Amino acid sequence: MVSPRTVRNLKREWRDNWLAKVGVVLVVAMVLVAVFAPFIAPYNPRSQSLDDNRLPPMGFSKTENQTSSEFVDGEAQVVSEEVTINATWDHPLGTNQLGQDMLSRVIYGARTSLLVGFFGTLFAMLIGVPIGLVAGYSRGRVDDALMRFADVMLAFPSLVLAVALVGLWGRATFRIPDPFVALGLAPGMPGSVVIPGTVIAVVALVTWVWFARVARGEALSVREEEYVKAARSLGASDRFVVWKHVLPNSLTPILVLGTIQIAAIILLESALSFLGFSGTTLSWGFDIAQGRDDLATAWWVATIPGLAIVLTVIGINLVGDWLRDALDPGLGGEGGSGA
Amino acid sequence: MSFGRFLLKRVLQGVLVVWGVITAVFLLRFITPGNPVDFVAPLDASQELRQQIAAELGLDQPLYIQYFEYLFGLLQGDMGYSYLSGQEASVIVFNRLPATVELAVAATIVAVVLSIPLGVISATRRHQPADYGATTFSLLGISTPNFWLGIMLLLVLSVQFDVFPVGRRGIPFVDAFTLLLQGNVSGMQLWLSHIALPAITLGTYFTALITRLTRSGMLDELGKSYVRAARAKGIPETLVRYRHALRNTLIPVITVVGLQLGTLIGGAVITEQVFNWPGLGLEVIGAVNARDWPILQGSLIVIGIGFVLVNIVVDALYAYLDPRVVD
Amino acid sequence: MSERNSVEETADSASATTDGRTDSRSDLLRVRDLSTRFFTEEGQVNAVESVSFDVRDGEILGIVGESGSGKSVTALSLIDLVESPGRVTSGQVWYRNPDLAEEFPDAADGEFVDLRELPTRVRRTLRGPSFSMIFQDPMSSFNPSITVGEQIAEAVEVQRRANANPRSTRSRTQGYGLGRFILDGVVPNRDYTDPESSRRAVELLEQVGIPDPEQRADEYPHQFSGGMLQRAMIAQALAGEPDVLIADEPTTALDVTIQAQILNLLRDLQDERNMSIVMITHDLGVIARMCDRVCVMYAGEVVERGTLADVFDRPVHPYTEGLLGSIPDLDDPAPRLQPIEGNVPSLLDSEMGDRCYFADRCPKAMSECLTHPPEFDAAGSEEHRARCVLADHDYDPSEALPEDFFGGGSPAETGVTSTDQQAEDGATSEVSQDD
Repeated sequence: MVSPRTVRNLKREWRDNWLAKVGVVLVVAMVLVAVFAPFIAPYNPRSQSLDDNRLPPMGFSKTENQTSSEFVDGEAQVVSEEVTINATWDHPLGTNQLGQDMLSRVIYGARTSLLVGFFGTLFAMLIGVPIGLVAGYSRGRVDDALMRFADVMLAFPSLVLAVALVGLWGRATFRIPDPFVALGLAPGMPGSVVIPGTVIAVVALVTWVWFARVARGEALSVREEEYVKAARSLGASDRFVVWKHVLPNSLTPILVLGTIQIAAIILLESALSFLGFSGTTLSWGFDIAQGRDDLATAWWVATIPGLAIVLTVIGINLVGDWLRDALDPGLGGEGGSGA
Repeated sequence: MSFGRFLLKRVLQGVLVVWGVITAVFLLRFITPGNPVDFVAPLDASQELRQQIAAELGLDQPLYIQYFEYLFGLLQGDMGYSYLSGQEASVIVFNRLPATVELAVAATIVAVVLSIPLGVISATRRHQPADYGATTFSLLGISTPNFWLGIMLLLVLSVQFDVFPVGRRGIPFVDAFTLLLQGNVSGMQLWLSHIALPAITLGTYFTALITRLTRSGMLDELGKSYVRAARAKGIPETLVRYRHALRNTLIPVITVVGLQLGTLIGGAVITEQVFNWPGLGLEVIGAVNARDWPILQGSLIVIGIGFVLVNIVVDALYAYLDPRVVD
Repeated sequence: MSERNSVEETADSASATTDGRTDSRSDLLRVRDLSTRFFTEEGQVNAVESVSFDVRDGEILGIVGESGSGKSVTALSLIDLVESPGRVTSGQVWYRNPDLAEEFPDAADGEFVDLRELPTRVRRTLRGPSFSMIFQDPMSSFNPSITVGEQIAEAVEVQRRANANPRSTRSRTQGYGLGRFILDGVVPNRDYTDPESSRRAVELLEQVGIPDPEQRADEYPHQFSGGMLQRAMIAQALAGEPDVLIADEPTTALDVTIQAQILNLLRDLQDERNMSIVMITHDLGVIARMCDRVCVMYAGEVVERGTLADVFDRPVHPYTEGLLGSIPDLDDPAPRLQPIEGNVPSLLDSEMGDRCYFADRCPKAMSECLTHPPEFDAAGSEEHRARCVLADHDYDPSEALPEDFFGGGSPAETGVTSTDQQAEDGATSEVSQDD
């Protein structure tokens, strides 16, 4: 399963490929940010302060026409003057239209993205891998049925299907208390983590086919290996063979596909929340949608969360490339269903 | 097996998939909570009126009758009547379709024209600046959400520098082409200026993906024995690269592109949203929010059929390039 | 050795006796101190180290050695096909060609030109009409998605175009690029090759003994058997009517019965066309059957060279003796074959040291073997040479190295830890016997 050779390849790729290090650093950083968001975020991402709306990020300033009424010679006059508003360290990445701190929102957005990315992939894997293994191993009718069904699934673009399903089924979320806040370690931060349940379910439902395809392919080829034939000829049960031989040998490509799928699902989630099909407003896609209406006056509201997405997805893709090069699962470019 | 039989088999498979698509879309309504009548009837509608509406929608019939009626309706091009827009759903869907097709085709052209040379250059000048440039671009391209890219392009090129118009379709391609035939280029210019940003937005992911695949495929192929043998027999390097290596590189690339077509169409939906492009994608989002079932179902089926058709073309291309498939 | 009758003797060597025959032929290629190195991440690999030998008109020269001894890289170096991270780093390859010598006086010495001094594009034009190569595995040496006939026609077409417009850059690039590739794909009945070349390809297929050549020309490589495909590859190599055909393990991937057919075919073709063949193999049986003269390679060096009789009847180098000892002799079957202990050594520059590379496996290693030996003249014909002190004087047991001198009793370790790509797949001595 994890042979010394695999470990050696991983190490060699790690040593020779500085991009792999960049990827791992990015991913680890994002995970830490997401987990410890209540400690890192300077403000509650939901708290509004309308006076401080549309503050530019550090290094930038903006000019605004401020109008005020003044009494000149006993007569009221409207005076318009140009004011330059500089960025402050209070809000290093600026604020949005509601005066919410962009830095805090980006930090909390990481939670949503990574939660959906991780659990969406996990559930897709849990649905797809068993179905694929069974179909590939048993072949015949089960296999035909699966492949035809997969063809139908693939005919719907995952984003379109996800939009339809989330839109039709509702945007249900559930909340779990944020442990740090519950323990009183991070006062003033949101008390619960919003988990977009429907989005996770839908995202798994529209992407499991990729796992089924890969698992099926692996099962088909492992089935033909001599040692599997030997095990079967010795009277091993199908369940035993699948569990002991087929699954362990399929893990590498499934792992690599899983990594790439996390990136694809993060992109899918951001697209869904950009279109308004998400249960939470603490999402990078949602913030981009907010900023889009305000490009001319506050370009950073749309720009900054997008950069966060790009950095996260680049990180995951680099890790995926590293695993792919080191483990060589022969996936080609099969995997991935980006938005 | 001959090429013709191969194609016939593929078409029959495609018909089967389309049937599956229609069935899935039909069933979607029955696994969705909420009564369709609620979205059509006025809030204060009487029980009687509601039943009348249900009968008109055919909802009082058994499921299989509804199914066959829907199926036969589709065969005659009837997708149902959209009460919410007061029009036949098929009229709306087919009105919107050309805009999406234009966008998707333009993006594909952008992607293919840019990515294959980029991938080849990248592979043949490995570890040189051109290669680093191409690999960086392709990593960024597959990691950037296209709606955000679209917004950034709008921000820089439309809002800041006013190079391109802000969104909306300027003129249908057919009209632009008719004008061109009459010797008037302004229509084409208008079309191009409007489609440029959406096409780049939608095409970037694909350009990046194909560049990556072409690069790694070319590197693979160039390391194979037949390339060395081709060099040994004295044929020019350009011939080795294009006639031998690239041809074999494109075979797996085409497969992946076929598989990823869904991504292209999905990307079109969101690109249309960013640029207010009046295509099917915008229509789907509207129909989902309004629960306009005939339009939603019709759009999904048209998208599914489009995917199946393009995949048949892709498979035919594959069989043309790789003779082993047909055998 | 005299089993090769002198039937193919041509006018200029008609007076030669069997034994002196090789001497009377003139050199076509003189390889001098050729070195090829690979610059890998693990370090510098000396795949070919100061190799010298000659190839004469109309002869078959054998290069024999274990996998990883550098014999294939030597062949690739001759026709400039060494790929990155490898590079020919020094040495000369003198090729007899008066036309080229006249055109490039700087690179010339009499009728000979040093190929390494020629511009790259000129060197490349020599592939086909001067040098051609056939490879071990015919299945992977043909492009799977182009018909066999078309691939051979391509080789013909290149020569046809080159002849129409001799040695200009234009005629070699021939304006083929991405645009042309797409155009050919889109426009039907438009292709790189001329119908004339396709006809010639069918002729060539017929000459190498492929039945129904016309029909087979339109088939794809996967529709051919291994033996038929190897014939097709030979046909392809003949398209440019080369002076030297380099055959890199041409029969290794084939069934034993097919091997003999291919060897016979090569010999017949060589007789007919009076070309020279460089036969690279690990199979001493092939050497004994085909070759006039032999080079034995070990660890990137030629350790012994001479006529077939020199090497087979009067071997000097213990490595050559070891190779011969691992062949069963039907007249005098020994109870056990004598394998060469240990493995092919690492070719990593940093691990090679300055000694005889074979010393660690040599049953007759002496203390003087710890300095790298030069090439000595050896008994036998004039050209018999060996890179071994035993060619100079006899074995002296009192000077012998202690048994565990090279790290315990497991010299094999050096081979196993080798990171060199070629050494890796040659983990054991794989000198085999003839059928």
